[in-house]
Amino acid sequence: MSGRRTVYEIYWEILVYCKSPRSFTAIINRCDLNSKTGQEYLGFLSGRGYLSAVTEEGKTRYVSTPAAGEYIALFSTLYHKLFDSGPGFRL
Amino acid sequence: MRSTYICFMPFICRTVEYWITGEKMNEQVHLRFRTEVRHFSLVAILNFIFAAIVMAMSVAYIVDAVFGIISPGSPLLPRAFSGAVALACFGLAISWIISTIQVFEGVEEISGELEESDDPVSEDRITCLMVKMLAHYRNNQATIRRMILVSTLGGYCFFALGILTSLEAFVITSDGISFTLDSLLVIPAMILTIGIALVSLLSSHTFSQFAATWDRRIEEIDAAECTLKKNLGLDES
Repeated sequence: MSGRRTVYEIYWEILVYCKSPRSFTAIINRCDLNSKTGQEYLGFLSGRGYLSAVTEEGKTRYVSTPAAGEYIALFSTLYHKLFDSGPGFRL
Repeated sequence: MRSTYICFMPFICRTVEYWITGEKMNEQVHLRFRTEVRHFSLVAILNFIFAAIVMAMSVAYIVDAVFGIISPGSPLLPRAFSGAVALACFGLAISWIISTIQVFEGVEEISGELEESDDPVSEDRITCLMVKMLAHYRNNQATIRRMILVSTLGGYCFFALGILTSLEAFVITSDGISFTLDSLLVIPAMILTIGIALVSLLSSHTFSQFAATWDRRIEEIDAAECTLKKNLGLDES
């Protein structure tokens, strides 16, 4: 996903994508990040315990922890609430 | 055994209720989001069609103004003025088309993804498309504002063009301004130009309403960021 996103949207996207283990390259490609910012985001999420790094066949992969579920659910609820009301006209 | 059953009942009920209402809410949100994206896409297509018509008619008005200036006995000032207005309309129409394409491309991509999604769509998928739509809106906020302005200006310019091209005589004297309108030209030209002017004004109004809704959503997201910040443990206060 590209375009102007908030950091919280990027965090959410990384956490949802990492529900199954993903490599660093796959994450930055999917979330349209450069390696520097990608490293920062992953570092932050890992530091807060939302992501954990697992090593499989010598490759490091990131996976969302159960703690991430709470953030994902809260984020979805807040965004779904935005669509409780439409533009207020019928076409 | 009986007491265990009673003890578990509220939990089971709550789980089933959550499952049913959660599913329904998901469906409602999905339906509303899909309808809104479709409408936005439809308005963008209409906008594109009318921008193309405005561009074509502007060319016709420019040609008409040039021939009007060349032909002897024709009032020079109104023809030159209508040519200038037609040229402005042509420029506005090009800007209008470019802006519409820019906005339409992203919305169409999201609309396509929504159509391709499995039924029922997962919560994460809908949220992902919402985030995408919001990112697209943030990217094109200035373009949409320009589109609203351009279609409003286009509407007024076209209205002016309809009157200017139907002028048969135009005289400025010390006593005032006098002009004659050709009734044969006035009726069809006015119907067409008023139609186009109304559609462009309606289009700008519809886009304004969409923009107002999306602006409100962006504001709501900014407000919700506090909650997300707290959840992430970033809020120290």
